[in-house]
Amino acid sequence: MVDPIVMDMGIVALTGALATIAGAAEDLESDVGSQSNPNSQVQLAAQMNFPHRIFNKAISGEPPAYGLWCASGATVASVLMAKEMSIFFAIAIGSFVAAIILGLFSVTAHMGRTASQKRFKQPAYMDMVIGHVPSIMAHGYIAIFCIVAFSYIMDHFMGHPFPLPLLAFLWGVAAGAIGSSTGDVHYGAEREFQNQPFGCGLNAAFSGNIVRKGEAGLRNGIDNVWACAKLGGPLTGLALGMTVFLDNWRTTVFEGMNTIIAGLIIVMILILANRMVEVKARKAYGPYKDEDGGEVA
Amino acid sequence: MIDIMTIILITLGGILIGVGVHFIPVGGAPAAMAQATGVGTGTVQLAAGAGLTGLISAGFMYNHLAISGTFTGLDYLMVVASGAVGSMIMITVTMFVGQLVYVYGVGVPPVSAKVKKDPITGDVQDLYVSRGTEGHGVPTVSFVSGTIGGLLGGLGGSMIYVQLMQIVGDPSNSGAVALAGIFATGVFYVNSVLASYNIGGTIEGFHDPKFKRVPKAIVSCLIASLLCAIIAVPIMGGVV
Repeated sequence: MVDPIVMDMGIVALTGALATIAGAAEDLESDVGSQSNPNSQVQLAAQMNFPHRIFNKAISGEPPAYGLWCASGATVASVLMAKEMSIFFAIAIGSFVAAIILGLFSVTAHMGRTASQKRFKQPAYMDMVIGHVPSIMAHGYIAIFCIVAFSYIMDHFMGHPFPLPLLAFLWGVAAGAIGSSTGDVHYGAEREFQNQPFGCGLNAAFSGNIVRKGEAGLRNGIDNVWACAKLGGPLTGLALGMTVFLDNWRTTVFEGMNTIIAGLIIVMILILANRMVEVKARKAYGPYKDEDGGEVA
Repeated sequence: MIDIMTIILITLGGILIGVGVHFIPVGGAPAAMAQATGVGTGTVQLAAGAGLTGLISAGFMYNHLAISGTFTGLDYLMVVASGAVGSMIMITVTMFVGQLVYVYGVGVPPVSAKVKKDPITGDVQDLYVSRGTEGHGVPTVSFVSGTIGGLLGGLGGSMIYVQLMQIVGDPSNSGAVALAGIFATGVFYVNSVLASYNIGGTIEGFHDPKFKRVPKAIVSCLIASLLCAIIAVPIMGGVV
């Protein structure tokens, strides 16, 4: 007979693993389509006389957008499950419907945004729409499937009281917030500005002057996701995975007040870890100016 | 009498959310390009993400404690504390991983441009600000401030959820759970957006001069949350 705690920990680990994949896919989807804050530079580039071939679909922040996709997918899945379809296929079909909605959103958002930049002579490339949208939908599908799946696990196996669509909505918002706060910085501060020296800090005067030439030909959103998959995507997955795993772990292993104490200890450890990274970075990179205000780097 | 207390506590929850948003270090689009201190996303986005993660934890704990039929004052504290801790975990994990991206992906040290020395660690700040930027990354003072913001946001969101569920008094009523959850989410967004207007784009945390605008946020969040509470009580009562 398997100890119940072993089974419970297995379920918690599964939710963490699904969240890790969801986080990485969520961030990479937003890199292909250039959603979220770094897109301000893509939008600005055309206005600064730098026409480009970067996909541009940011008409909403990632958290509400992912809340919508995940709630849509979970609603379809719930209806199919109520009609006694198998859980796996119900979630798969629900996620597919949500991915189609994401695809429609991407096309209309991109065409609308690009058309509004006609006065800046930014072309609307039809081959970009055809090339990027399937990649956006594919990444989105993985993210939505994983989020709906771990929401279902929390709902049905861990006994969470919220209905599946609401739980998927809330986790979709959290996934969007984490992706927008972590992995997108790699896209915005590094990948878009590889024409600046690494670690120089991005002078606001360079705004809009994004890299437009790729490793081969002109750079596009798929070139960007190739680079961001090396750091931004995996770290976003780590962040969402850690959030889901740690929050579920403390409520599974401990009971009562101990869940609160365990949570506070996790927070303290993270504050100390952040301080260690801060000290290490200050030592490694050093100051940009000396004490008289003169530049040293 | 119970309804008045409910309205007061929902309003208080809304105010806590509004104040909590001011503690969270967000740099918006400039921070996403490492041109400003804080997390590289919008105020509402991050606050809502953290607060709603807290709501998930609080909902779980409320169900666990209230399903037995009795819900004591200590249980109430346990639920709101669980929500606050869930929210703190999300915000600290996000800030920490965001920090890793700034340090290892972008190559800049965490630094504040609003103070010459970090009020907590005493580290010199201005020499580490790169040219043409308003700081970058999440220095310790902003990290601690963000953690406090997560605590207040999670606390406020959980309080609203518990009060709404107490009107119905039946944790097994799935319609009531869904309505309370989505209403708490709505009140969270109302107060986050109000606070966001008050902040005006970016804030580094409690050491930022913009933090002095908190009293205005308290007044506006009080009015908005009071209206939400007055609407919420009869709506939740209708579910019974």
